[in-house]
Amino acid sequence: MGGRVLHFYLAGINNQNFLMRDRETGTWWQQISGKAIYGPMKGASLELAPFDELSFGLWKKESHDGQVLAAVGRDQKKYDSKWEEEVAKLPVPVSFPGTALKSRDVVIGLVSAGEARAYPLDTILKQSPIEDRLGGRPVVLVAGPDGKSVRTFLSRIEDKDIELFRKSGSEDFALVDAEGGEWNFKGCAVSGPETGKCMPELAGIKDYWFDWRNYHADTTVYRR
Amino acid sequence: MRELKSSGFAWILFGMLVIAGSSLFFIPAFIIRPFRYQSARALGLALLTREYAAFWTVIALCGTVALAVWQWKRVRRWQRLWLAAGVLLMAGSTVMARMNYFEWMFHPVAQPGFEAVTQAKLDAGEMILAVSVGRDARAYPIREMAYHHIVNDVVGGLPVTVTY
Repeated sequence: MGGRVLHFYLAGINNQNFLMRDRETGTWWQQISGKAIYGPMKGASLELAPFDELSFGLWKKESHDGQVLAAVGRDQKKYDSKWEEEVAKLPVPVSFPGTALKSRDVVIGLVSAGEARAYPLDTILKQSPIEDRLGGRPVVLVAGPDGKSVRTFLSRIEDKDIELFRKSGSEDFALVDAEGGEWNFKGCAVSGPETGKCMPELAGIKDYWFDWRNYHADTTVYRR
Repeated sequence: MRELKSSGFAWILFGMLVIAGSSLFFIPAFIIRPFRYQSARALGLALLTREYAAFWTVIALCGTVALAVWQWKRVRRWQRLWLAAGVLLMAGSTVMARMNYFEWMFHPVAQPGFEAVTQAKLDAGEMILAVSVGRDARAYPIREMAYHHIVNDVVGGLPVTVTY
């Protein structure tokens, strides 16, 4: 922030997200929003870096020279490969009965030009690619060939909207456009008239419905 | 032998100091706990209390110790238990008001170490968080991030904090 590098540490739990503090100023920040909520830097906002949440196998194919965070020796035993199942059993701090989804339904949450929408993960995996309009912009949510990773893109390149379909007979969600050109999971055309061009990736966040709804009170839910 | 008289006023003051002093620890600890919904206001109160707690718990502790010492010879044996309990509670609160027990539960990563993708022993289906800047591509296994919660790193020259 402002040319200064901050180092963060865990300082509290916050509706099942967490609070962190930076060592440099002692300010408290909210993990879910990246905003400083108390202390000398109150009001400041951290910038969300572009990232992906995907399976190791897919990432490995895309990043031959990549590096992987090593386990911390003494803590290795505490890592839980079944963490998602364990967390799914925990009570939620807030729920929204009467809304479209159940508290622990997993969604991909997307905000575009101020408009928020939750896309149920199950729906994306079944119906990929999902095309939608959000905040006046064309967006597409695609499932990866592994059947579990999801990426979201702005389906527009140089003012041209890209329409994507599932390649017929494809079991690994391969994508084609209206002209039959093929697109890969990185959002880039590998054949056809748009070859070499890539759609800009959007910051979709994988979240539980209760959490997404808690921080986006006016979110809509994608229904097909 | 002249018996020293215990003061009712001293008992009241002692009790108030213990309650007020230990609340400086317990109020934020109660608000910032798992499975409990925190409104923005409650959280603000918790953080404000925590800011003043480090100093004022020490003041309250000094007060309770002074009162306990003063009362010690003036009260009956069984009443001394209350004095000791009060001081202990206040001392415990003073210590805990300075502690970050969240890092006891989830050890921080002091210095992130990395291995080449060819050496990493992860299953293909295991989920990771991936960040790439320029030609620097890094993966943070969610299994590990779900425990440590925070990793401070530099990717392609850009300082990032990975959180889960």
